[in-house]
Amino acid sequence: MLLSESELKSITDSILRQVKAEDASVTISSTENSHLRFAANSFLTNGRQENATVAVTVWIGKRRGQVTTNDLSESALKQIVEQAESIAKLSPVDREYLPTLGPQRYKPTGGFAESTVRLSVADRARRIHEIISTCEKAGVVGAGFHQARGESTATATKNGNFRYERTSLAGLTVTARTKDGDASGFFQRSHWDINQLDTGRIANEAVQKALSSRNPQTIDPGVYPVILEPQAVADLLGFMGRFGFDARSAEEGRSALSAPGGKTKVGQPVFDAKLNIYSDPWHPELPDSAYAQDGIPSQRVALVERGVIRSLVYSRFWANQRSLEPTPGPVNLIIEADGPTATIEEMVKASDRALLVTRFWYIRGVDPRVQLNTGLTRDGMWYIENGRIKHPVRNFRFNESMIEMLAPGNVEMVGKPERVSGSENRGSRNSLLPALKLKRFHFTSQSEAV
Amino acid sequence: METTRRQFVGSAAAAAMGPWNLEWAPADSVDKARLADAALNTAKRLGASYTDIRINRYRNESISTRERQVQSVNRSESFGFGVRVLVRGAWGFAASRVVSPEQVVRVTEQAIETAKANAEFQRKRVELVSAPKVVTSWKSAFERDPFDVPVDQKVGFLMGLNEAALKVRGVSFVTSRLSFVKEQKYLATSDGSRIEQYIIRCYPAFNVTAVNRENGDFQSRDSFGGPQQMGYEYLSSYPWLTEAEKAAEDAVQKLKAKPVDPGKYDLVLHPTHLWLTIHESVGHPTELDRALWWEANYAGTSFLTPDKTGKLRFVSRPVNFFADRTQPTGLATVGYDDEGVPGQKWNLVKDGIFVDWQTTRDLAPLIGRKKSYGCLHAESWEDVPFPRMPNVSLEPAKENVTLEQLLADVDNGILIYGNGSYSIDQQRYNFQFGGQTFWEIKRGKIAGMLRDVAYQSRTTDFWGSLDALGGPDTYEIHGSFSDGKGEPGQSNAVSHGCPPARFRAVNVLNTGSRS
Repeated sequence: MLLSESELKSITDSILRQVKAEDASVTISSTENSHLRFAANSFLTNGRQENATVAVTVWIGKRRGQVTTNDLSESALKQIVEQAESIAKLSPVDREYLPTLGPQRYKPTGGFAESTVRLSVADRARRIHEIISTCEKAGVVGAGFHQARGESTATATKNGNFRYERTSLAGLTVTARTKDGDASGFFQRSHWDINQLDTGRIANEAVQKALSSRNPQTIDPGVYPVILEPQAVADLLGFMGRFGFDARSAEEGRSALSAPGGKTKVGQPVFDAKLNIYSDPWHPELPDSAYAQDGIPSQRVALVERGVIRSLVYSRFWANQRSLEPTPGPVNLIIEADGPTATIEEMVKASDRALLVTRFWYIRGVDPRVQLNTGLTRDGMWYIENGRIKHPVRNFRFNESMIEMLAPGNVEMVGKPERVSGSENRGSRNSLLPALKLKRFHFTSQSEAV
Repeated sequence: METTRRQFVGSAAAAAMGPWNLEWAPADSVDKARLADAALNTAKRLGASYTDIRINRYRNESISTRERQVQSVNRSESFGFGVRVLVRGAWGFAASRVVSPEQVVRVTEQAIETAKANAEFQRKRVELVSAPKVVTSWKSAFERDPFDVPVDQKVGFLMGLNEAALKVRGVSFVTSRLSFVKEQKYLATSDGSRIEQYIIRCYPAFNVTAVNRENGDFQSRDSFGGPQQMGYEYLSSYPWLTEAEKAAEDAVQKLKAKPVDPGKYDLVLHPTHLWLTIHESVGHPTELDRALWWEANYAGTSFLTPDKTGKLRFVSRPVNFFADRTQPTGLATVGYDDEGVPGQKWNLVKDGIFVDWQTTRDLAPLIGRKKSYGCLHAESWEDVPFPRMPNVSLEPAKENVTLEQLLADVDNGILIYGNGSYSIDQQRYNFQFGGQTFWEIKRGKIAGMLRDVAYQSRTTDFWGSLDALGGPDTYEIHGSFSDGKGEPGQSNAVSHGCPPARFRAVNVLNTGSRS
């Protein structure tokens, strides 16, 4: 059972009563996970876990110490407070210390369903059996991962703040491969409420992608116009969401958003005017945390408006250094069209020649100065000519700058955003991202991998 | 206010009356044998044909610094148990942090419930090869337990690294970090095995950055040393201070280095770099679970298939790649794996031919084997164990070939140190690797530093272009603290030993040409 708000409050109160340090923060996280893998059309591993961790951070004369344990016994909690204080006394002054927050007001965001945490393993087994049956009937080999998890978290500070939140996530990913190993399809979706997870659709999409990828042709690498499905956009832009907007690295001169002369690119039209990028914890399809860094109440944060960089993300420390307010986010990532949207079918019809990409894989940074990443296409790519899908093609490696990819003039059409997660994140960390039609994308070599 | 190393050491000495050596919270004494009996008996009563229970404690310590300040000193501990059962050919696994006889029974019942629910629809029953019954304990090799070393000594070590880098003109930023892991593992199986293991790993790391604010350019250089299965003695047995200073000089030099001209080059890859290429292009393709499509939904499959065993020429030369869970300082070295199979050494590639796989007790029978090579591993007590990579290494040449001798026969090439960007496809054919420093080789000599280098190749083409290896004196072992795989994701520490090696006519890209 997840620990309730009152149980968590009781533990944080008990710990803070024992703290002798001038300042302290206590975070407790209670988790329940249940997962099942299947592969080669058969059940594989599974697991159910119950855990809880408590992290105590203290500051004595601005010297910091932190200890984490999953032993919630009274004696263990007393000892970790003593250990954190002992470490703090031994540590040098934390030059970036700022006092923990006092009482704050948080506007609830949602994103929890009891049904997800109370998953029935018998019902899950039946659903996975149905997915495998779908694969068997289609003559393909299925593999996938089903997960359901819940978490209750509370943080209390010595200065009087207390925050509590519950979240849940149910997700399914399915890969279908033809028996000869010559074609593959993948699809994933997740929701906080397991009853909203359409497992049949996810399986069917993966199977159809595999079947329509049979007999791929080999074409030369090079610069192509592309249509990226939301999954492909999520795979690429997870990197940008994490690292791209940090004010400190930009102002220190080591970010793609740094400008010569110690300046940044805030106010510049770095991206195409068709794009808005923002974070919104209350978005009905993407509820996320009510609190941002260090417990600051979350707010909607506009990062890019009509392609112009509107703001960078200031940590509490860096904002204090710059006499600015810390940024109340981002807690999630939403990319929307500033103007009309188009379906993938409309994008295909509007293409004289292009590649339709369903997914990217193994994406790694190559040059942080321009957010140049490399990676590969995977699980379905099709050649488009004269407004029609002509045939599937074999995979490519790409080397592409995220800045150039979204630069003014390179974004031709934008889809309606969908809730999707980068596939290397295994279904966690969802964003709302659209399909994109791009004028130029750099594929640099062939890959025979399927 | 910034803290210099001298100031820090001074303040630490002044406080030397304090409790320097922090004691861990003592574990509630648990009777592991009794708990194991509770799990094994419950599972047997409910119909399990095989059961194991792992009761494990993990301790971590990390210290992070930046320039002349400490950013964090963190300690964490996690204790709990996980029970795995096999019922009618289907697995069930459940885990809890509450380690008591009542909880062990309840969690075992949960594992049984899951296994039975899945067995209802299981297409292919899981079968296990046997493992010897073992009652023993095993401890990794170390001289000094890092958890016995006072925090101030560790902070002093990192401040020393930072200072060595910062004194180099042109350096803008430096970060450094120490990470230590201690695992105390107990395994009991329904085969009758009872195994205690005690493992320590150590990971110092730093990064130095030089920024040219006038033109907006920046370059960085990571440490080469990497993690080892060693104790605190690793910090004094490796030349960390010298390397920090050299890294700083490299970062500054990279700002002015010549951009590489794309094209074909002979490559000489130093062990600080080559280990990662081995990991990605030899280690992962020889995982049998990948070859059988068990990882098709995430990590991917493999270009190697069981029918290629003993037939496929992997390397043009008669060289050997071996898997070894007994290798000294190897991060994946163990006494026994997580289902009681002893650590062992075997060839994956012999005389250039692909000959064998990494296996577990449920994988081995699928290719007609009677025993497992012992590759089952779980990151923590709460994680379900699954096949993970052992240390996979490249044997050096028998003759005493030096790095200089490898360079001498290169007319137009690049010497690469350190691991940088890395990416490889889901069947392990097409890869692209960067590095930390790149040195132009002209007519057998180092001619200067290059930048923006990455090489791209196809696994068997690349290993087919190998034409020389360094000798035993050039062999080094490097590795990763956290190789990711599986769903949910788990990390595994793994090492790869190798000499420097020379490859002919490899495709090199300029990664900065569009910046």
